[in-house]
Amino acid sequence: MRAEQLKGHLDGLLLAAIDNGARHGYAVMEAVREATSGQIDLPTGTIYPALHRLERADLIAGTWSVVAGRRRRYYTLTQAGRTALTGHRTDWRDFAATITAALESRPWPSTA
Amino acid sequence: MAEHSLNEHSLIAAYRADLQARLPADLADEVLDGLAEAHDKYLRLGLPPDQAARAAVTELGDPRTITDAFRRADPARQLARTLILSGPAVGGCWAAALTTARAWNWPLPAAIPLLMGLTLAASAALLAAAATTQRYRAGRRAGTAGSLGIALLDTAAITTAILAAPASPWLFTAAACASLARLTHIARTLRRCPISYMW
Repeated sequence: MRAEQLKGHLDGLLLAAIDNGARHGYAVMEAVREATSGQIDLPTGTIYPALHRLERADLIAGTWSVVAGRRRRYYTLTQAGRTALTGHRTDWRDFAATITAALESRPWPSTA
Repeated sequence: MAEHSLNEHSLIAAYRADLQARLPADLADEVLDGLAEAHDKYLRLGLPPDQAARAAVTELGDPRTITDAFRRADPARQLARTLILSGPAVGGCWAAALTTARAWNWPLPAAIPLLMGLTLAASAALLAAAATTQRYRAGRRAGTAGSLGIALLDTAAITTAILAAPASPWLFTAAACASLARLTHIARTLRRCPISYMW
């Protein structure tokens, strides 16, 4: 699945990847990949700038640590991020239910 | 910038040098931590060091592509584009207000309009550079400097409108509101742009 196809859902995916605790950028990449059985494999150039954008929007908070001699930036959800994630989940369930109902319904009656 | 071991694989070292040349230290360190994680993962999976390094570099992607993605998402660059697009509208408001008030008859020292004109020209050039450059740090610097120049002009224009007590207050009010909105947007955006990202 390509990044363009995720338009509108990227933020929700990233927030969900951080929902269970602090993660660094590469761990977020792996979490999204694993949660979608490899169907969504977001490139570095999508993940990191998006995390920075979410941080500027106060939806996640970043902190630096040093691990194995390397600087590592961990991200956690803020309260606003939790609220936004709940909204993304609700919106997705409503959207998926609506589209599923339309696609799996009986053929529409003719208007002729 | 993060330390790195002396026995670092040459492919990883080359990638590190390339990325560090393109991006500010904080951004480069964050991506390079991901590269090291990927490298460790492939080594744990049993790949020989050469293959593990190649797989990690491939997975992270080309440093130029990563830099381009950061550049496109850079708030200072996006601010520069917004200011370029909104500039004619805000400038038009001021031009209408100043023309109606016959501002050329105001008792101002000649240096003031000259300084404002030079600041506008320099700011416009910096914003154009920020919006078009391929270099992340140069774009951040140009975008910030150009935006500050526009903020300075807006502040000067609003102050002038208040002090000059113009004959057509509604035109000046409209122009001042446009400048105030622009000032607020500039302040909000630059507040979230770390200064360290300029170098």
